[in-house]
Amino acid sequence: MFASKQKEIQQQVSEYCASVITCMDSFQNAVKQYCGNMDRVAAKAAFMEVHKAESKADDIRREIEVMMYSKSLFPESRGDIMGLLETMDKVPNQAEAAVLMIWNQHVEIPEKYCPEILELVDVCCRSVYAMVEAAKTLFSNFTNAAVAVGKIDELESEADKMEAVLIEKVFSEEVKDISSIIFRDFVTSVAHISDRAENVGDRIRIIVAKRTI
Amino acid sequence: MGWALGANDAANVFGTAVASRIISFRNAAILCSAAVITGAILQGRGGIHTLSALTHQTHMTLLVVSLAAAVTVTLMTFMRLPISTSQAIVGAIAGIGLSTGSMQWDGLVKVVICWVATPIGAMIIAFIFYKLLGVFIRHAPMSILTRDKILWGGLLLVGIYGSYALGANNVANATGIFSGQFPGISDRHLAVFGGLAIAAGVLTYSKRVMLAVGSGVMHLDAFTAFVAVSAMSVTVHIFAVIGVPVSTSQAIIGAIIGIGTVRGIHNIKFRYLRNIGFGWLLTPLIALILSSSGYAIFCIAKTQI
Repeated sequence: MFASKQKEIQQQVSEYCASVITCMDSFQNAVKQYCGNMDRVAAKAAFMEVHKAESKADDIRREIEVMMYSKSLFPESRGDIMGLLETMDKVPNQAEAAVLMIWNQHVEIPEKYCPEILELVDVCCRSVYAMVEAAKTLFSNFTNAAVAVGKIDELESEADKMEAVLIEKVFSEEVKDISSIIFRDFVTSVAHISDRAENVGDRIRIIVAKRTI
Repeated sequence: MGWALGANDAANVFGTAVASRIISFRNAAILCSAAVITGAILQGRGGIHTLSALTHQTHMTLLVVSLAAAVTVTLMTFMRLPISTSQAIVGAIAGIGLSTGSMQWDGLVKVVICWVATPIGAMIIAFIFYKLLGVFIRHAPMSILTRDKILWGGLLLVGIYGSYALGANNVANATGIFSGQFPGISDRHLAVFGGLAIAAGVLTYSKRVMLAVGSGVMHLDAFTAFVAVSAMSVTVHIFAVIGVPVSTSQAIIGAIIGIGTVRGIHNIKFRYLRNIGFGWLLTPLIALILSSSGYAIFCIAKTQI
């Protein structure tokens, strides 16, 4: 009885992790496409993919939450898993917020900064993949999850440095206008993805620490 | 007395499992009752023999002992101090023994030594269990859900074992003083009656106590609860084999302190421990004073009639 419930939860969490990865892949693809032609209408389909993946992740998370309340688990585990999913959910939300920013605020990415933006997106996505791996480790060999979290921290630091360098470059230019400020906000919004992933890593550390004897 | 014991002490064995909704109260109460009766029948006679051998009893002293123990338990509950029915009963018996001069000191010393050894023994066992199980959990690769599954099964098993130990050890508190007092009623019969009385307390009134468990000496998670209940069960079972009724509450508190020494002493609520200390000293003392006073009153009343 208890075993089948656990299997169900494990399966749903696995599905949720897959939807987070899909969302990040779609996000990377959308930014790449936008950097290629700077036409937000042409990239709309790619932006919609991010939105769809984020919505799917939301739906799965809600299903897991309902399932966990209707089925027995230790209260401490229930609280920990729910908290973990809530924190993880902020990652695809942030990716969606970044593409929405491109759409709503007509973000202009100067061509010369495109490689750096794509690199920043890549580092942030890798931090999310590391986060997903760490979360999955909780459901395979939880004592190793704390080690897996170390990778997120490294990538988050890298993203922070790239963000700072990029913003510094933008504001070192002679012409500084409203588009520079919007671009800076966009860079910050992308970098926030790795910050959110780091928050998940911190939660995983606590979950492991609580169970470390 | 058996009913009160069942209502209060079942929480020590199944409280965490019920409060965590690992098992429903109904199923826990049924399992606990069955195990209590089994323990009482199979291994409860040692304690019955020990209590009955402490002093010579008449029908009048039986009444005084029962009343004194019951009033003590009620008083301690009213004062919100931890209850030990074993100490209440033995304290009351000692009151009669001292008043009539028929106290069997060897038996009493053995019982008091076991009382002191109960929390200490449980503390040491919990310490060892915690360390050993910690090595297993650290080195066996498992998911957090598998860990839960293991603890879920473990809590159920130790709950059943703890209930068995409770019946085996504590049935003497319910019916021990009646041993040899009524023709045709053997110790086995007393063990059955006592087991049934404890089971009745578990089935009818233990839910509230079970749901309230865990907020005491230290916060217990599933793992620490498993260690605490295991250590308590082993300790109480050992004393059932020795034949001395001891307090399950004191055993579980000893076990929790044992866990606290590994996890960090700051986790322990020392104010709560002080109350336990008071309870530990006051319970036998109050029961002793009440039973010797009761005996004196009966004697005076008898001479005036």
